Amino acid sequence: MSEVQRKKYTEQEKNRIFDEEFMPHIDSMYNFGYRLTFDEDDAKDLVQDTYLKAYRFINSFEQGTNAKAWLFRILKNSFINDYRKKSKQPAKVDYQEVETYYNSEDVDYKMTSDLRVDSLKDMLGDEISNALNSLAVDFRTVIILCDLEGFTYEEMAKILDIPIGTVRSRLHRARNLLKDKLRSYAQNMGYKTDEEE
Amino acid sequence: MENNLEGSGERKLQCSDVSKCFQLLESILDGANIPDSQEILKSKLAKCQPCFEHYHLEQAIKEVLKNKCTKHEVPSELVANIRQKIEEIK
Repeated sequence: MSEVQRKKYTEQEKNRIFDEEFMPHIDSMYNFGYRLTFDEDDAKDLVQDTYLKAYRFINSFEQGTNAKAWLFRILKNSFINDYRKKSKQPAKVDYQEVETYYNSEDVDYKMTSDLRVDSLKDMLGDEISNALNSLAVDFRTVIILCDLEGFTYEEMAKILDIPIGTVRSRLHRARNLLKDKLRSYAQNMGYKTDEEE
Repeated sequence: MENNLEGSGERKLQCSDVSKCFQLLESILDGANIPDSQEILKSKLAKCQPCFEHYHLEQAIKEVLKNKCTKHEVPSELVANIRQKIEEIK
């Protein structure tokens, strides 16, 4: 593999890559960590671990490739392998719900929503955030990566280690679930939905 | 190709292939590299009401997520802590 053959960076090069290519993403990384764990200390630990791993394995980072996607992949793996195992809390995920959604890429695109564009525009940031936070972590993650961080499907496939078809279908399901949440907020706010008419 | 209704407001009320259309619209919205995507988008939105509604709702959701989701400020000590730990392992 190329990782084995690649020459090692000098100390100077390592420091430059770390400062110029890794550190500028700390804001996105911290917010990703926070949205996965909902806890400031856990998010800090996750980000710190990620940057330490990034430094330790810096020789497997290829200059000119997407540093942000590389860092996000490390953070996601740290979250799955370290945080979830260490966490004293029971998993905040309804795995069965996730599982039944998961096993194929065959998505029902006929699902329609009576959520209206007008009602979305009046929603507060907290309502939008709460709706996103209420999704199971794997659905939440694809929306964060795509809509908040602007990763492409190809980058998301690499970050999550899943095929592009699965990225696309998981994203579609995640958005449908999010629409359900937003619709109930809209109803609580007194907006009419088509269902009521 | 039924391309005559563009801009006329006479959109068809049933989409003949919702799965394929919605998937394509979402890919375009997400910036996927699709040849002639803007022409395809324009034509679909002009011709088909379900496609028009789906695209605009998805677009609005994407925008509120990007612009309104609460952002958390990075704790001030985090960068210093990381740098200190790196010095320790160097």
